[in-house]
Amino acid sequence: MISIRNVSKTFKGRRSVDAVKNVSLEIEDGEIFGIVGYSGAGKSTLIRLVNQLETADSGEICIDDVDITKLKGDALRKQRQKIGMIFQHFNLLWSKTVLGNIMFPLELAGVAREERKERAAEMARKVGLEDKMNVYPSNLSGGQKQRVAIARALVLNPKILLCDEATSALDPKTTEDILELLKQINKEYGLTILMISHQMETVQKICHKLAVMADGEVVEQGSVKDIFSNPTHPLTKELIQTVDTGVDVVKLASQLKDKYPEGHLLRITFEDSTSEKPILYTLALKLGIPINIVAANIKSTQAGSLGVMYINIEAKRDVEPFLAELEKQGLKVEVI
Amino acid sequence: MLQLLIKLREPLLETLLLTFIPLIISVVLGFLFGTLVFITSDAGILDVNASPGLRVLNRISDAIINILRSVPYLIILIWLLPVTKLLVGSIIGWKAAIPSLVVSATPFFARMTVIAFSEVPKGTIEASKALGASNFDIIFKVLLPESKPALLSSIAVTAINLISYSAMAGAIGAGGLGYEAYLYGLIRNNPPLMYMATLLIIILVFGIQYIGDIIVRKVDKR
Repeated sequence: MISIRNVSKTFKGRRSVDAVKNVSLEIEDGEIFGIVGYSGAGKSTLIRLVNQLETADSGEICIDDVDITKLKGDALRKQRQKIGMIFQHFNLLWSKTVLGNIMFPLELAGVAREERKERAAEMARKVGLEDKMNVYPSNLSGGQKQRVAIARALVLNPKILLCDEATSALDPKTTEDILELLKQINKEYGLTILMISHQMETVQKICHKLAVMADGEVVEQGSVKDIFSNPTHPLTKELIQTVDTGVDVVKLASQLKDKYPEGHLLRITFEDSTSEKPILYTLALKLGIPINIVAANIKSTQAGSLGVMYINIEAKRDVEPFLAELEKQGLKVEVI
Repeated sequence: MLQLLIKLREPLLETLLLTFIPLIISVVLGFLFGTLVFITSDAGILDVNASPGLRVLNRISDAIINILRSVPYLIILIWLLPVTKLLVGSIIGWKAAIPSLVVSATPFFARMTVIAFSEVPKGTIEASKALGASNFDIIFKVLLPESKPALLSSIAVTAINLISYSAMAGAIGAGGLGYEAYLYGLIRNNPPLMYMATLLIIILVFGIQYIGDIIVRKVDKR
């Protein structure tokens, strides 16, 4: 268990920055805990306090009842070996091969040479890099590099894994794969994962609990389900809004098709200029076609409002004039 | 032609000695000195904010590098004569040139070491710390291997600098190709000798640079 109690950190300088202000969090064993917030919210500093890459000004951080803020020298290094960490930019040693990188923590920990190789190779297989062991990082893709970093972080069998924006430099597909790997490792080893991200989407996908940070403070925390169903802080609401509906469009369409086997099922996409006008309503009145809205979602983005709506029209109606009118108004319509 | 080369055998040997003996010493000392400057900087290895003494040490060692690099070689050579006498037992001959060559090349290589280390991403150092690396581990198992290409090309550049300094060491009778070209070639008006000695220096420089580049390419896995 990680207990962060009343921790504060100020960066002194020409302009002092209170990066972390009196933060308290409890992270249970085997939990995936996410911290979300915009850049500058203090999440990076907070996660670095957990393995003392940054030192706290006050408060304590206990990992299984050992206060890591009190440790120094060898004791701190031993403790750090029980906490794996992965980074946004992977931070691999380019002068070492994949296997060399994974062996590095074992070398630091003084594990015998033959055993190092064996354990590193096993770890490489675990993350799916068995055919890349003798390759240098510069010849790997982003996702593969992060897999090496994960293997490196886990080769000493730590109980905790810290993820510092671990998927922020990866494309959506690779992000998905890496998150899946983390989820699998969490299940298999009961590993506690503390991750920070500026994307609610990432956190929501694999975390059990989450905390929202703003301006160095935790403004909201709880289970992902509770926070998503009942966000209280305005920032939380905002962050949740940025999450893509999370709905699998293909799946939704087939579900709706099952639910409304009769009639015409249409998907209408609104764009900025069209989402503000009562086009659909006016048109339904004009043509005298009753429409049934079966699913809808409107997001406001940087580019303005974006919306998707699924409507159902009785089978006996002729939808052709309706479709033509909608097209004319600049809406995108698909018949499902 | 052959006679010229035979005549230049001795100066060539002197130039090689004047280059490679100071090179080895300067690389070792410069590496240590540069490492000191780097770890006492804001690089994230030692906690400089916690101990102001480290900052002072950093400023002083950095200033020493700058000062020594500013003083012209010939002046260092003269200034060091008493020390040379003490160390080598003589103030003439090629051996007497070695202390001054070391004093010139060491701060240069120290600066090159600082630059090479600075190119290692901070994230790499941070990750190593997170894995439980000690400061010793960070220097010898992270910084040194990760900056190997930069350090190796710095060694080549330092060697070439030493070749040109060694010509000036002729002032205290250290010999070498450069002085041979100047004294016997230019002053005593023997153009073939001058050109041949200069050509040998050019070949030497090309050779060092060429070999250096090959090694760098081999170790650079970026």
